[in-house]
Amino acid sequence: MRVVHYLNQFFGGLGGEEQAGMLLEIREGAIGPGKRLEQLLGSETQVALTLICGDNYAVEHQDELIASALEKIRAAGADLFIAGPCFLAGRYGLAAGALCKAAQSQLEIPAITAMARENPGADLYRESLYIIDSGESAAKMGEVLARMACFARKVSFNQEIGSPAEDGYIPRGLIRDQFVEKTAAERLVDMVIAKAKGQPLESEMVPATFERIPMPPRVKDLKRAKLMLVTDGGLVPKGNPDKIQGAAATRWGSYSIKDCDDLKGEHYEISHGGYDPQFVRQDPDRLVPLDVVRELEKEGMIGKLCDEFISTSGLANPLSNTRRMGREIADKAKRLGIDAIILTST
Amino acid sequence: MVSGNRVVLGNGIVQVVGDANASPEEEKKLRRRLVEKALETLSKDSE
Repeated sequence: MRVVHYLNQFFGGLGGEEQAGMLLEIREGAIGPGKRLEQLLGSETQVALTLICGDNYAVEHQDELIASALEKIRAAGADLFIAGPCFLAGRYGLAAGALCKAAQSQLEIPAITAMARENPGADLYRESLYIIDSGESAAKMGEVLARMACFARKVSFNQEIGSPAEDGYIPRGLIRDQFVEKTAAERLVDMVIAKAKGQPLESEMVPATFERIPMPPRVKDLKRAKLMLVTDGGLVPKGNPDKIQGAAATRWGSYSIKDCDDLKGEHYEISHGGYDPQFVRQDPDRLVPLDVVRELEKEGMIGKLCDEFISTSGLANPLSNTRRMGREIADKAKRLGIDAIILTST
Repeated sequence: MVSGNRVVLGNGIVQVVGDANASPEEEKKLRRRLVEKALETLSKDSE
């Protein structure tokens, strides 16, 4: 079996933070942690290539990195792609996740990585990938590599993958059919009794988990701030040009309010199946407060209002979807140099 | 996690920053109050 392994500049032995801007470099054979990984994978397996890239370059030029990495992985005839382990290194985790996802979907070879649950790459890619839970400490390198190798063999030989707890990967949110001895009612009663007796029990429902998101710093000077209005109340121009769905929306739209001081009901409609839209239909300022924000802009209370407002429909939407749209909207706001956002939510 | 002091309570689900029962002047005042509160919240450090 031929493996291509990805490392950042630090684990690749090419330097610390001062080398974070380094472009993708290719080395024949295994490097650093890859050497141990190769041994653990067994004598039939060879790390054919090691790809090494600087952390900053990897996240700032992700598309270029993916394109050149895929070319190398393909040319190397890899059967398996492994990235990391990344532990808590955020940029490393983001790059590892993006590369694994690309290798898996575009080259159709198995790809695995390892990182801490708190790594931003874990939240972003855990649903698409098997990410071995590495914990935070790089001192556990040996143990993590052993678990990665063990898992890599399972994946490569199409062996059945166990639950996250059994196989040590970060839960992907997958639901799998399983034959069991007892009916749901019996299992439920067993759990209730166990709970009443103070005995341990394992719920079959895994509640959605929300990672803590640090609050952005305050806006230092509102009078110079560029403000953007965003809503999840489904306000769209008549005809709904982006076809934003009224429930479980997969899209969002950005609509011009340039030279407009007041939103008029006749120009808009509501694509949202979760609330009575009659009031907003009469006067869309009841959802997107353009009229008063324009006043505040003229009075100099805020610097400038963005020429577009952003809208989607926030109803019955899976987290994976809303997280993606949130990231896309945040990217757009960043590109436009927005300092503050008021998001009105129905 | 939905928490923290960057959440301003609006005037209900169907008209977050509006009030169809109020006069247009009153309604606009309410909307302005809510937006000003949001701006004030944005300019404070979170707790």
